[in-house]
This record gives sequence, structure tokens and C-alpha cells, in this order.
Amino acid sequence: MEKISITLDVNGKLCELMVAPNDTLLEVLRDDLDLTGSKESCGEGACGSCTVHIDGKPVRSCLTLALEAEGSKIKTVEGLAKGDQLTDLQESFINHGAVQCGFCTPGMLMSADALLNENPHPDRTEVRKALAGNICRCTGYAKIVDAVAHASHPHEGCPDCRPYGRSESKGEE
Amino acid sequence: MSDHAFIGKRMPRVDSRTKVMGKAKYTADLKLPGMLVGKVLRSPLAHARILRIDTTKAESLPGVKAVVTGKDTEGVKWGVFAYTRDQQFIQTEKVRYIGDEVAGIAAVDEETALKALDLIDVEYEELPAVFDPMEAMVSETELIHEDFPDNINIHVNIDTGNVDENFAKAHYIREDTFVAAEESYFHAEPYAVVARFDHEECLEIWCPNGGPHMKSKPLSNAFKIPLHKVKVRKIAIGGAFGGRSEICPADYICALLAKKTNHPVKIVFTREENTIATRQGHSMITTHKTGVDKNGQVLARETTCYMDGGAYSSTGPIATSVPFLSMEQAYRMESVRYNGYRVYTNKPIRGMIRVHGRGFAVGLDTQLDLIAEQLGLDPVEMRLRNSRQPGEYTSTKSYVGSCAMDETIHKAVETSNWKEKFGNLPAYHGIGIGTNSVQTGFPMGIRGGSQSFIKFNEDGEATVMSGVVDNGQGNDNMLVQIAAEELGLLPEDIHLVSADTETTSSDPGSYSQVSTFVGGQAVMVAAKNCRKKLFDVASKILKVEPDTLVAKNRMIFVKDDPEKSISIKKVVRVSLLNFNSVNAEGGYWPKVDMQREWVKNPYGQMCEAFSFGTTIVEVKVDPETGQVEVLNATACQDVGKALNPLVLEGQFEGSIAMGGQGGMLTEYHEWKDGRCLNSTMLDYKVPLACDMPEISNIIVESIDPKGPYGAKEAGMSIAMSAAQAYAAAVSNAIGVPMDSFPLTPDKILAAIKEKKAQETEA
Amino acid sequence: MRLPRFEYLRPKTLEDTLDLLADHKDDARILAGGTDLLVRMKKGLLSPKVLISLKALNNLSYIQKNDGSISIGATTPLADIIASDLIQADAAALSQACEKVGAVSLQHYRGTLGGNVLQNNRCHNYNQSQFHRSGRQACHKAGGKICYARDEADRCYSTCQSDGATALMALGAKLVLVSKKNERTVDLADFYTNDGIVPFAMESHELLKEIIIPVKGGSSAYRRLAYRSAIDYPIVCAGVLLGATDNKIDKARIVVGAMGRSPLFLAQASSSLNGKDLTDNRAFKTAAYQAMDSAAPFAVHNVGSTLEYRQAMVEKMVFRALTAAATAAIAQ
Repeated sequence: MEKISITLDVNGKLCELMVAPNDTLLEVLRDDLDLTGSKESCGEGACGSCTVHIDGKPVRSCLTLALEAEGSKIKTVEGLAKGDQLTDLQESFINHGAVQCGFCTPGMLMSADALLNENPHPDRTEVRKALAGNICRCTGYAKIVDAVAHASHPHEGCPDCRPYGRSESKGEE
Repeated sequence: MSDHAFIGKRMPRVDSRTKVMGKAKYTADLKLPGMLVGKVLRSPLAHARILRIDTTKAESLPGVKAVVTGKDTEGVKWGVFAYTRDQQFIQTEKVRYIGDEVAGIAAVDEETALKALDLIDVEYEELPAVFDPMEAMVSETELIHEDFPDNINIHVNIDTGNVDENFAKAHYIREDTFVAAEESYFHAEPYAVVARFDHEECLEIWCPNGGPHMKSKPLSNAFKIPLHKVKVRKIAIGGAFGGRSEICPADYICALLAKKTNHPVKIVFTREENTIATRQGHSMITTHKTGVDKNGQVLARETTCYMDGGAYSSTGPIATSVPFLSMEQAYRMESVRYNGYRVYTNKPIRGMIRVHGRGFAVGLDTQLDLIAEQLGLDPVEMRLRNSRQPGEYTSTKSYVGSCAMDETIHKAVETSNWKEKFGNLPAYHGIGIGTNSVQTGFPMGIRGGSQSFIKFNEDGEATVMSGVVDNGQGNDNMLVQIAAEELGLLPEDIHLVSADTETTSSDPGSYSQVSTFVGGQAVMVAAKNCRKKLFDVASKILKVEPDTLVAKNRMIFVKDDPEKSISIKKVVRVSLLNFNSVNAEGGYWPKVDMQREWVKNPYGQMCEAFSFGTTIVEVKVDPETGQVEVLNATACQDVGKALNPLVLEGQFEGSIAMGGQGGMLTEYHEWKDGRCLNSTMLDYKVPLACDMPEISNIIVESIDPKGPYGAKEAGMSIAMSAAQAYAAAVSNAIGVPMDSFPLTPDKILAAIKEKKAQETEA
Repeated sequence: MRLPRFEYLRPKTLEDTLDLLADHKDDARILAGGTDLLVRMKKGLLSPKVLISLKALNNLSYIQKNDGSISIGATTPLADIIASDLIQADAAALSQACEKVGAVSLQHYRGTLGGNVLQNNRCHNYNQSQFHRSGRQACHKAGGKICYARDEADRCYSTCQSDGATALMALGAKLVLVSKKNERTVDLADFYTNDGIVPFAMESHELLKEIIIPVKGGSSAYRRLAYRSAIDYPIVCAGVLLGATDNKIDKARIVVGAMGRSPLFLAQASSSLNGKDLTDNRAFKTAAYQAMDSAAPFAVHNVGSTLEYRQAMVEKMVFRALTAAATAAIAQ
């Protein structure tokens, strides 16, 4: 089958690729660009594990043709941190215990990041609604909601809100 | 005890960083040079004889590197137990469920592999199939397994005390039957395997697992290579929940393809395959007969349970027993007779699952509530009168050391405002309680213990080796936390080599609930031994007795004179310069009754500790639609000791979602002739963020005498008691005891309607 | 899961699109958001030779207020509809329906209104992987001669589970269909074939261009039932439109979805409300009951839950939609 040459803007880098029309963005990210952070958990757009940003909006990469992502700014979970420096949201996830098996985490982060870009101080209901399309089997969502709701400012009385910039676990309080 | 640097602290997990960066590698993420894509051909029929398989067309498709069928195997039947050997890894004679493995392909890419699957020509002779366990037992059609008459796979019989005599004495007796559909794991990560044979003819394999040492032995047997040539590697795992513990035919097929092609092979399951071709929970029909005295104390109980086991045994004996065992641990029932039957049907294979026997436990608790009502007691009082106490023996003769069941009941009652609410809530508003207990381990024979090795590196940092696997519950962090505590280092100074069968010692696996108790304890012992060696050297340098020393914050110092100190790094270097070992090992083997066997001898010390917990849930039912809004949940568990409250809370919350919200309200499989109609994330209803209630977590610490720092299991009890509490709350809300699970809106509505009709009649 | 192969075309203008459709006809499918089409392709339910993408057409996404109507371009994302004050005010049922579709990160930025309306019918026996279906005869919709949802059925009973279409039919919407040689406007109510296999009265060379919602006063509402609050398709849903003068109903449209091969406009139940007061809950109950009676026979057990439950819930959803619309009408 003929492959088509495209250029994808992924995490701020322009990537030249040869793709087939039936290659999904998820496949190209994972197989051709080695960005395996986005996951396939259901393959049919029902779980959110493959969520990436296209021009700042959260979409399912497993249902996006790679061809159709050309010309847009694509951001994956790997594009959140700047080198070693994690975003507040990522650190909040770590601090609040919002990561267990971690398989849903990239998708959650992308959905949450999109929410926080629009609304930096969501209440818990707004968070739950924004994450309604991301399935998690481990956490019961509780600490994920904490992490997102507290990401932009520490909540009084939350023992897990810590100053950012120290994402290494030090253990002692 | 509060001297601890890390134990007991809310500590972010050491594995979270790579996960939030998207860097953690799961099996499907792996890329090895020359790797081929593997696919499995599965039976589309529920029960059929394989007459002929023709793979020539598939083999000659360009890009196909190997095709394997049953004839490439020895046809040996494998089983978790010697007496459950009923499964070939690739079927040679007949297929027994839709999804059964018939062939494997390795090709250069996915499209070619899929095309090749279609080119394999299989001729089947369809056989009559059975899908209902009750029918399967009396069916005249061909047995699913010829060695198992009446299609009965496992029969567990437990008989203690004086059941019939005590029934005769009882003041009030009830018999009730409960039906529960199966629940399903729905791990976020679909199953995957990567396998290769290296230049030394060692098999290297990656796959999600509940214990790598459970995988290595059957592979060693199947490929006739010694265990030291089977390397099950560490990999990030997206959930196990009691599954993924035993070998999967795909593991074997992938390795076989790797051997045949001399290339690494990767098989990634679709979501559908993960649902139907790994494991599911058991559906059950449970009849409880319970006799109580005037005070509501249980005098005698008889329980019969029929479980739909699907087409093969899997961990059948365990799954047939645990639902009963959890109950006999939670409640006193000295005279009890249990008959558990695991029955074969032509359905996907059922295994152990974290929410074991929701129908079983929920049924038992529902019955207790009904008895309570009859006697004028409230459900809490009923629990307290029958709850397990420390120092007692279970019916199957396990001594219960630490037990704070009552405390969990009292605390949950207080936090949830039970006393104000029960009986006083508005119509269709209910509150319910469930209590449960989980064994911290079970006799695992040769794999009952865990050993750890620790080495110090020249820079004063340490590498810890342990066979414990992390499925997402936080075991890696637990090991590092314990090692850091005992070695006096910081968590970032410790590198963990774990869950790798090349380097780590045998371990019982996470599915047996002993990762902390046995695996963590082994690390603790090893670390203590390591520390002792360091102290011996340090004591000479500081010119003090070793027993005056403590290690903390990378330093070794005299407890009462902290100025007298030396860095661990220095001690390590001095040790090496003086030919002193800076390595140590340690192990832990729980003292259990090694003669105890699930079927042959289900009596004796099961494990060294049991966890106990209570869940209380408040719900509001819409009487017009039967839909349930869960208002809040309270989870309270006696975990012995909370090594890391942050992680524990996460376990409780996840348990509420899996066992209660999903397990009781929305999760079940729908079937048509052995065909699963809801195998996808869209159609099988796992709870979503927008539907979960706020959860209150209460940790109770009974400080178990045997557990590391007093800790016991903590990942499962709430998952089970949550189901009980949800069911009790709904029953309380609508005033009708429910007996068929899960409690989908149609069932709730039907119960409301029936009650109204009865009231009108009356 | 891998998509089957296809030729991908991305025309730059509407004209080009229509030319391509005229050329390829049934060999081609239109790709908008892809949240329905691509899933079905992954399951092997269809394998079109050609996909014609609407991505380059940026003039089909709009929400426009006209005199007496609202026009919505077919490729308008659901998120835009949800965010539109105009639609919330004048076509509330559509706003409420779109909000319930899928989830924020699934449908809302990718899903289009046109795509939601043209979402193919569903059945839990049909919407399965190739593997699942391979062990037994194909059903009517898959090219065979049997129905697994209803014994002995000689025709397909697949169900329309579109939230958007249900709300739009209640609103009396019209569709503008264009082709190389023609443009036509059709009432949504007349757009369905009652054939579960090919549910839409639309030629393979036609393209849905625009949806027109008449706005002549009145209030609308939409209610749906599903197991979970997001991701799921509805198992029962209802859209209603009520028009009143001096609080007396002079126009009523009750439409029930997720029961039949198309959304069902229930004439009898609707006309029973004429002349009734906006506060007449009893009339709403009667109408809802009538709606249930009319709609129930259309449904089969093929979308989860039990058939009896879904049938019973028609009454509840219609009643709740009616009271919501009435409340909104009174407030106006």
C-alpha cells in the first residue's frame, strides 16, 4: 500500500513520517515516534486511555487518522513536562496518590490538563465531569479528583498538597 | 514506633514519576529489534471437535514467519494444581469455549498477521454445548472434560462442629438463595506478551503477571528448560486484581513462536480478548441456611454454592473456597457445612478475583439483616454479636491473632452517622453495612515464602532484590519504603530489582495477598541483616557497642549521642576495603499448616493474619427508574499497621468502585449461547468518575504480632464488604431484600413494584 | 485494533466533495469526526473502498440565527452546540441531548451534529468484532438472513440510539441534503426508511449539509436514560416540544428514541396534549403513558438492560421531558 508523506507537529517538534491512510494517530505516535505514553485500552474510543490534545482540545487518538492530524498541534503526555520539570498537575498527581497502575494516567492527565487550561480552579463536580470519559479501574477516581482540584492551589486541610518543584519523594514530612 | 522515618507516613509512590511522564513501559510498549507481531487464532464455537487444521495458505502468505498449532506442542495438559490438569496451551482435540486457542501466527506486521489468521482453515465438528452450571451437571451431552463426570470440576466440602444438632436447637432458621452474575476484571491494560529466546537459549518473557514465579515454572516445564533459563522480566503492569497469576496459553504460544522464528514476538490482546480469553469472575448460585439462638448468635449454618467455572479449571479450588473462607473468618460459625461446586460450562474461564463471591457474601449478610429484623435487632448489632474476635479459631481451624473487626464496625458506624440515619431516612433513601475478612495469604507449598537480597554499592546506596510484583497497588513503593526505613537510607537511594525470575528469589505472588506480609517482611529481614553488618563495622570505627547504633538519613549514629556518627557511604567503603561483606539476604516463611489443602484437607492454619473491614454506604433510589444515586461511602479496615496511609486510602477507594459501585450496581456479563455480548469498555459498565460518591477512609491498626511493623493485607477486604454494603443500602432504601445481583435498575424497579402490589393486596 | 485499508480523499470544496460522491457512490463513506464510522470499520462491520474526509471543508461548521429558524452546519462539533447560548435558549432539547453524548474528551470536540444524526443503527448482536460474529450465521444487518434480537424476525431490528436525532425530530428539524446535481430539504421525520439495515432515505451520492431547526416559540426538553452518566448510548430517550398560548398547549411533539429503527414521533400521544394547560401534570402522565404504549412494540432486546424495563421507562422519560419543557414554557 502506498504510504503518504506527512509532517506532524508533536509536542512542539515537527516530525516527518510516512503513513498509510488507515494508520491512526495513536499507532503512529506509539509505533513510529516511540511515544508510548498514550495507550490503547479499548480501541474504540470508550475509555480515554489514548487521549491527546489536538490544538489544545482533548480527543481520542485511536479514532483519529494520522493523516488528519497534520496541520494541528498535537500534544501527548510526554509533552507536558519540560525536560525534567513536571507540570503542577503532574506533581499534584504524584503527591495525591492519584497514580496506581498508571495505565489510565496519561489519558487522565491530558483530559485534566485541557480542563485546567480552561478553568484553573474547578470544583470537584466539574472535575468529575471533565474526567467522565476516562476510565480508571484502580483508584475509584477519588485521588485523581483531589489531584486535579488541588493542582492550581493547595487546599487547606489536605495533607497531600505539597509545594511544587520537589517531585522526588523525600518521605519525611 | 513513631520514631519511624518512612513507615506510617503518607509518602508519594516511587513509581509515580515515570507513570505521569508517560515513560513507564508496559508490555505492549516494548520494542525489541527484529520483533514480530503475534496473533492467536481462537475458536468461534463454544464446543467442538477439531477435525482438521490446514495452515498452508497462512504459512505461504508473504510476511508470515511462523504458524503453530496443537501439533507443534506435546499436547500435555497443564493445571494450576496436579489434580486440575485439564488445559492444553493450544488445543489438539477439541475446543471448549468461544475464544479457546487453536493456533498462533507470527508475522512482520499486524495487518499481515490478521490476514494470516483468516487464512488458517479449521474444520470443526460442532458439539452440543452447555452454558448453565445446573444444566451442565445433569446434561446427557458429551462431557466438557472426560475425566470430570457430571462436569463437576471441583467440590469443596467443609463440615465442622455439629451442624444438624445445632439446627435442631436453633430459635430461628432461615434458608435463602442468592444468584449473582459474574463480574469481570477489566484491567485498564489489555493482556500482552513479549517473548524471545536469547543467544544462550534462555527464554526471556514479559507479560502482566500476579507473580512472575508462577509463570516461570510452567514455562520451564513446557519448554523442558531449567528454571534458570526462564527469565520472566519486570514490567509495568496495568492491574491484576487477583487475575493474571497463572500461565496464559498466549504466554506459551508467544514463546513457541519466538523459538520457531528465532525472533522476539509480541502478542497484544484486544479488549475483547482480555475479557473472554483471560479470566472472568464466577457467577454463583448460593443457598445459605442459618440457624440462630434467641440473641441472634449463629448456631449453625449450611451453605451450598454452585459456581460457573467456564471451560477450564484455572485456580478453581481457590475460587471455590475463598468466598466461604472470607465469611468464616469474618463471622463466628463453629458448626458449618459448606459444599462448593465449581462446574464446567462452555464459557470463558473463570478465576480468582478481588471481589470474590459477591453473591455469596452479600447473600450471607442480607440473610443476617433479615434475621436481625425478625429478632428486632439492627444490622450493626447483628454483626457485633457474630463478629470475629481475636484469639479465636475459624471453623476450619485457623487461629486469628490480631482482629479489630468490632472497632472497624464502631468507627464506620460513627463516621457514617449510622445511628441517626438507620430507620430514620426518608423514603427510598437507605443505609447499609457489610463486613468481611480476607486471609493474608494461603498455603502455597514450595512458593509460600519470599527471600530478598540486598547489596550496597560503593556510593553508599543500595540495590534491593525481591520477587514481589507490583500490579499497580504500590508494592514497589512498599519494598523501597521498608528498605529505606531499615537501612537508614532515603527512598531515592534505593534501586529496586524486583519481579524478575532471573535475579529474584521465588515469591508467592501478589494475588495471594501476601506481598507486604511475606514479601515486605523478607525485605525487612534482609535489610536488618544488612544493617547489622554495617553496624558491626561502624561500631569498631566509632568505638561503641553495635546495639547503641541507629541508622537514619544516610547516617549511622549513636542513638543517645548523635554527634558520634559516620555516613553509611563511608561505612560501606571501609567494609569493602577490609573485605567485609556489605550484602545480606533475608527471608520470610509464614508458619502455616503445610498439610492444609483446598479440597483434600481444608483445615488447619491458613495464614498468619487476617484483615477485617467494614463498609457503610448511603444511597438514594429513584422509585420511578430504579436508578441508584450513591450519596457517600465509608470504608474502614483493620490493616494491622498502615505502612503508607496514602496508598491504603487509594486501595479502599478503588475497592469501593470495583466491589460496590460496579460490582453491585452495573457490572455483569450478558450471554447468548456462550457468546459474551458485552466484552468491551462501552458495553461492560465499569464505574466512571462522575458516578462515584465521596468516600471516607478510616484506617484501624491492630498491630499484628506477625506482620511487618504489624501490617496485614489491605487490598481486598473493602472490595468485598463494599458489595455487601451497597446491597444492604439498596435493600434498606426500598424495603425489599434483594437476592439477585448486580442490582440493576430493572431489578430494583421490579422489587419496588412487587412490594407496592403486595401492600395493596394486604 | 487495526482499521481496514481504504483510499483517503480530502476534497477542498463542497463542490469537489459532491463530485467525488457522485463518482464513488456506495464505495465511499463520508468521514467527519469518525467516532461512529471508524469504530464500525475496526469491528469489520464495513470496509469502504474510499473515505471522503470533510476535514478541509471549513464552511460546514456554523450556528446561524435566521428569521424563524436556526441553521446548523453538519460538521458543527457537539462542543459548539453545547456552548451555544442561542441553542440553549431556542432549541434547549438539542443542547441537552448533545451534552449527554459520549464524554467531553470523546465526542465533544470530534463528534459532529451531522455525524450524530447519521450514526448508524445499533444492536448488541451486530456491533461486535469480526471474531465474535464469525461463529454463527450473519444477521440481517450483516448481510445474512437471521435476527438474533427477535426470534423468527424476517427483518432487521437494529435501533437508532442517536440523542441528536431524537431531540431534532422533536424540534421538527429539517435536513438539507446536497448532491452534485441537486439540493433538497426533507423533514427529519420523513428521513427514515424503517429499514434497520439502511436506516436513512439518502442516496449514496448525497451529503448532509445543514440542519434547520424551526424556531416559532415554544419550549423543548430532552431526557435520556443510560447505565452510566457518560460514555453510554441511551437505552431510552425522549425529546419534546411544547408550544402554548396563554398557557394552553397548542403544539406538542413527543419523540421517543432508542426504541425503534428511527426516533419515533408519537402522534397520538402528542395530540392528546392539545388544549391542555401547561400545568396539567395529569395530562402529561396520560400522554407519557400513551407514548409508552405506542413506542413499546417497536423495541427488541438489543441495547442492554431488559426490554420490559426500557419499555416502562419510556413513560418516565417522556413525562420528565414534558414537565421540563412545560416549566421552561411557563418561565418564558
